[in-house]
Amino acid sequence: MRALDRGFRWLLGQRGVRKLLRDRVALVALAVISVYVGIAALILFFDVITLDETTERVGPRTMPGVWESPSLESRLAFAELYLETVQNALDKRSPEKALAEVRFAELELAALSIDERQALLDEGWDLFDELDELDDLDAAAERDPGVLAKLSRFEETAARLYRRPTGCAALKYRARLLLGTDRQGRSILVRSIYSIKVATQIGVVAALISVLIGTLLGGAAAFFGGWVDHLVVWLYSTFSSIPWIVLLTVLASMFMGSRFDGGLVPVYSAFCLSFWIAPCRVIRGEVLKLKELEFVQAATAIGFGRARILLKHVLPNTAHLMFINFSLLFIGAIKAEVILSFLGLGVKNEPSWGVMINHSREEVINHFFWQIGSATFFMVVLVLAFNVLSDALQDAFDPKHVG
Amino acid sequence: MSAREPVLQVRHLSTCFRTERGVVTAVDDVSFDLFAGETLGIVGESGCGKTVASKSIMRLLPEHLSFLRPESEILFDSLDLARADEKQMRKVRGDRIAMIFQEPMTSLNPVFTVGWQIDEALKYHTDLDRSARRARAVEMLRVVEIPDPERRIGEYPHQLSGGMRQRVMIAMALCCEPDILIADEPTTALDVTIQAQILDLMEGLKRKLDTAIVLITHDLGVVAQVCDRVLVMYAGRLIESGPVLDIFHAPRHPYTRALLDSIPKSGRRERGGRLRTIEGIVPGLHELPPGCRFEDRCAGREQRCADQEPALEPLGQGRAVRCHFPLPEEV
Repeated sequence: MRALDRGFRWLLGQRGVRKLLRDRVALVALAVISVYVGIAALILFFDVITLDETTERVGPRTMPGVWESPSLESRLAFAELYLETVQNALDKRSPEKALAEVRFAELELAALSIDERQALLDEGWDLFDELDELDDLDAAAERDPGVLAKLSRFEETAARLYRRPTGCAALKYRARLLLGTDRQGRSILVRSIYSIKVATQIGVVAALISVLIGTLLGGAAAFFGGWVDHLVVWLYSTFSSIPWIVLLTVLASMFMGSRFDGGLVPVYSAFCLSFWIAPCRVIRGEVLKLKELEFVQAATAIGFGRARILLKHVLPNTAHLMFINFSLLFIGAIKAEVILSFLGLGVKNEPSWGVMINHSREEVINHFFWQIGSATFFMVVLVLAFNVLSDALQDAFDPKHVG
Repeated sequence: MSAREPVLQVRHLSTCFRTERGVVTAVDDVSFDLFAGETLGIVGESGCGKTVASKSIMRLLPEHLSFLRPESEILFDSLDLARADEKQMRKVRGDRIAMIFQEPMTSLNPVFTVGWQIDEALKYHTDLDRSARRARAVEMLRVVEIPDPERRIGEYPHQLSGGMRQRVMIAMALCCEPDILIADEPTTALDVTIQAQILDLMEGLKRKLDTAIVLITHDLGVVAQVCDRVLVMYAGRLIESGPVLDIFHAPRHPYTRALLDSIPKSGRRERGGRLRTIEGIVPGLHELPPGCRFEDRCAGREQRCADQEPALEPLGQGRAVRCHFPLPEEV
């Protein structure tokens, strides 16, 4: 504990850290990133949002978010959904059992007998048929105020089938409908937030492995020279001559039908294969410079083996490059995941911003843009924060940048 | 000159480099002995092969660019370093033969603390546990007269001055108590007062630890101050060797003489206050003359010098010179 405290004090005492802490914009960016990473960790380790919750139906199809007062059409659709859910259960061969299994977000069924339920349903369906006959609900309501009253009665009838959620559950239910629903009636907010986890996972894993591979290969190439260098240079010039999107497409389709299809493994491997080049190049250049410095010869003169010198003495000198490359690749991976999923080659089993944007293709034509807007917003905030932070980090830690 | 067994015997050391213009011999047939507790100076101009000779002994030269001629022998402790494999060399390096370099600014790894770097060497060559290694590192820093070693051990190289860094380098080199310390221009990058301190320190440590020192330098002042014996090299050849006082008082080779004459002397101004220099330049290793390599710059050259290369002739009293017409004994 005392060591931790001392380490923290030391960190705060560093010139670069002090400089960073004075930079307000950087602090905001840091806070945003912490929130994102925190959410990702909560979802990943504590199942705050489960995968089921992201696919659960919480309302009618393409319901707009809270900022738009619901149209009469969508109010009707919502109440219909309430009725339908119960009706479906009652139509089953063993309605008791089916009713027990009904789950509709935070809503619970009211404690009624089957007959009472049936009565409510019949009443509801009658009202619904009357309302449904009207072609244009808005126009009809304008002509006849009775339509509005009928709609309210229909909604009340539907609501009587359920117990009103209270307290936390009510808040949660409200929050789930905050940004509306997609075409399958799933909560856009929940899916957007869950995507943070997917994005962070992909960003961290892909960037980490790429930097690791790039560092080891680049370092070995520069340090050992000869055929190792030739091989690595050949590898990265070959890989970099293939447009990365083509490489990703090929790799992603290679995994199709395999056990990993639709999961994150194809995405990870595709990204690592194309992303290791950048750090490899940079670190090879740096090690070429470092290995001529006398401390490398001094280490040889102490008797260390070549591999030990490379790993323990030379590569730590490239740590700053590893950090820079990590942050660049992190953002790169998140953006690439969106593109890949948009093409339908990326994540399939889980929601991700790319998947959401892909799904919203047809919605946008119908002027429904909550889904694409929400996914893009969540992504842009993270990428922007990361860009701002890496800029600030460079300003703070670059020794040539005085002031 | 003692009758003790030499700790290191170098015989016919010839180091060649493969270059685009063919193979060149940077060190040509150099032989010498090194005795325990003595300081041997190797002097010469830039490019005369003194650094290559020292790195050949440590086998630090890049294998794909250089090779030792087969007649080369570097006998150390019943091992021929010229033929030892990498694994054997690793045991020798640092533990038995240590080396310090010219540039203290870059000889230490900038991202690790001084203590870590000494510890790393100890970890590799000794079986000491963590606390023992730390105690040893502190002790070594104290031995090389670094004030407040307990604090300094946690500092990074950039927090130390050039002289301090060179002391740390010496501490690192000596922490495993090597038999031989090769110092490649250890004081060239330091200013004169620090230079004197470092030389004193090395001298003191040599006495204390009975380490043999090979001091490579182009500075004859340094040689006069600390060396027991001197080897003078020119264009890859050993041209004169002997005890330091004899060579300084009565150089037999014209080149040694010229080197000594070009030391700036205080209090004496000659020829309009200009420093004396040796005319001409060292011949390139690609176009070595058939005769004496110093021939074109030598004041006393004769036809024979251009035709035939002189052999290294022993003169007695541990001296040897490579010249057809050595200077008379008393000048």
